[in-house]
Amino acid sequence: MAAKHHVIGLFTDENRAAEAAARLRESPWQLQKVFSPIPSHKLTDALKLKKSPVGYFTLCGGIIGFICGFALAIFTSTRWGMIVSGKPVVALIPFFIVGFECTILFAVIANVIGMLTLTGLPRYDNLRYYDPRCSGSHFGLLASCEADGLEKLTGFFQQQGAEVKVFD
Amino acid sequence: MTNDGASPKLTYAQIDQTVLDTLRPATRPYWITIALLFLGVLLGAACWLYQIFSGIGVGGQNNPVAWGTYLINFVFWVGIAHSGTLISAILHLFRAGWRNPIARAAETMTVFAVCTAGLFPFIHLGRVWVVFYMLPYPTQRGLWPNFLSPLMFDVIAISTYLIVSSLFWYTGMLPDLATVRDRSEGLRKKIFTILSLGWTGEHEHWRHFSRTYLFFAALATPLVISVHSVVSWDFALGVVPGWHTTIFAPYFVAGAIHSGLAMVLTLMIPLRKIFHYEKIITLSVLENVAKTIIFTGLIVAFAYSTEYFMAWYSHNVVELETFRWRAVGDYSLQFWIMVTCNTVIPLLFFFKKIRTTIVWLFIISLIVNIGMWFERFVIIIGSVAHDFIPHAWGLYAPTAIEFGIMLGSFCLFFFLFVLFVKHLPSVSMTEIKETAHAGENHGG
Repeated sequence: MAAKHHVIGLFTDENRAAEAAARLRESPWQLQKVFSPIPSHKLTDALKLKKSPVGYFTLCGGIIGFICGFALAIFTSTRWGMIVSGKPVVALIPFFIVGFECTILFAVIANVIGMLTLTGLPRYDNLRYYDPRCSGSHFGLLASCEADGLEKLTGFFQQQGAEVKVFD
Repeated sequence: MTNDGASPKLTYAQIDQTVLDTLRPATRPYWITIALLFLGVLLGAACWLYQIFSGIGVGGQNNPVAWGTYLINFVFWVGIAHSGTLISAILHLFRAGWRNPIARAAETMTVFAVCTAGLFPFIHLGRVWVVFYMLPYPTQRGLWPNFLSPLMFDVIAISTYLIVSSLFWYTGMLPDLATVRDRSEGLRKKIFTILSLGWTGEHEHWRHFSRTYLFFAALATPLVISVHSVVSWDFALGVVPGWHTTIFAPYFVAGAIHSGLAMVLTLMIPLRKIFHYEKIITLSVLENVAKTIIFTGLIVAFAYSTEYFMAWYSHNVVELETFRWRAVGDYSLQFWIMVTCNTVIPLLFFFKKIRTTIVWLFIISLIVNIGMWFERFVIIIGSVAHDFIPHAWGLYAPTAIEFGIMLGSFCLFFFLFVLFVKHLPSVSMTEIKETAHAGENHGG
């Protein structure tokens, strides 16, 4: 089997990048990644990306946090069962504050865990097919093709007005 | 790629270059500043050490004023922290584009202010080595912290705030850390490679990052309101005249944002000048902060007057006496400094000439900072110095040790901030690019 080639097309214009990305999706070449220095709605639309599911992580974290906060306050106060400040041993209103703070804390931690899980970060081997200009002012489209399709792919990028860089 | 908006007209490369220029090797004045601030930190640490060995009595706190400058500074620094979250989270939710140039520095201010604030309960403990008693852990005697106490609410709220604001700050910085990585060499490249976690700005990164950032903002907003409410309940849940009032939570939150915005100006104006950020942190951005200070100043003024109204309307002699004494008693100077600095002087920002003149912006921001410190003095000291029983009345003045620790805390905050601005991107390149991309005017 022929070796695969990775080619990146670098655009300075977001619209052109989005247009090229949409065309690449319908081409025989594989669009691997799209790099951009800012979050781009045009690229999101061109790639037909769905909304990130990270919110489910956040929601679960929040629910777990609320239960844990409340449970902690109830558990600790029932160890001695003394009336303090004229409030019941299980005083729901003050304990709600503990529950609330833990809701936020756990939700935020789950939010970060969700992002790291879904993005696969931290990961240090993904800089191989990457151009540092993509964190500055360029939009990069990384595509792969079989050895015999390299010429056509670079031609496609050049036609779209991109600067081409072949990795392999 | 240029910005379609009116101002600032910068290309993406110029934005990167402006920010990356701030990370060049530091000059001698920078290291002298760092050294002086570090000396201040050492002085504060020495005072604290002296207090640990001599006992808490070396501070001026005693009956009836058991909460002195340590609590004043605690509330002051928690307050300062609040505006960072206002700017980074609440204004993000409102899509206020003018917050982008100052959001990073404001978030950093939040993190360092919470760290500084968090030291004061430790300092005030006296026997700091038993601080772990506050943690809920199983002991031989089966003792647990009392979660009915507002002090325990505080432990949980401040710890949560520190963790959340630190994660918010770091996560938001990932794309910029990658930008620095891509333009560095040698050891710095290695460090930023680790710090940026392998961020490449690929579509899957942005897809999850944008959503995560939105949830961060949505969660930080109620948190920031809850944290200073909880701090206010440290006082409001005590049956002390001048403290025991339901207005305390919104009053504290408004005051916190008021002081935090002033500190944002205090930090941003020199930062803008020293690092040549004039094209990014435009005058319009500073003007918008000044306008917000007018708004928060008016809320604070309303809170001050409401307290007097409630004391009058209650017909409670103790409340009436407390508030009469505040205005004309032993601490009346501090009271009038508070009123003038926080509510009268910020009104000068109604004049466009004043709120668009850098020198005035800086001077008024310093005045509001001073006023807000005195607000905490008036609230904390005033009420317990003059409560129910005349024979228990007494006065309080900070000792040299307390002044040393206070100076140390200010030096610590500025020391951390000055270290930050030279070693990490102090303006979010990504968000400025987004603003430029959207063609927004930074003036809002």
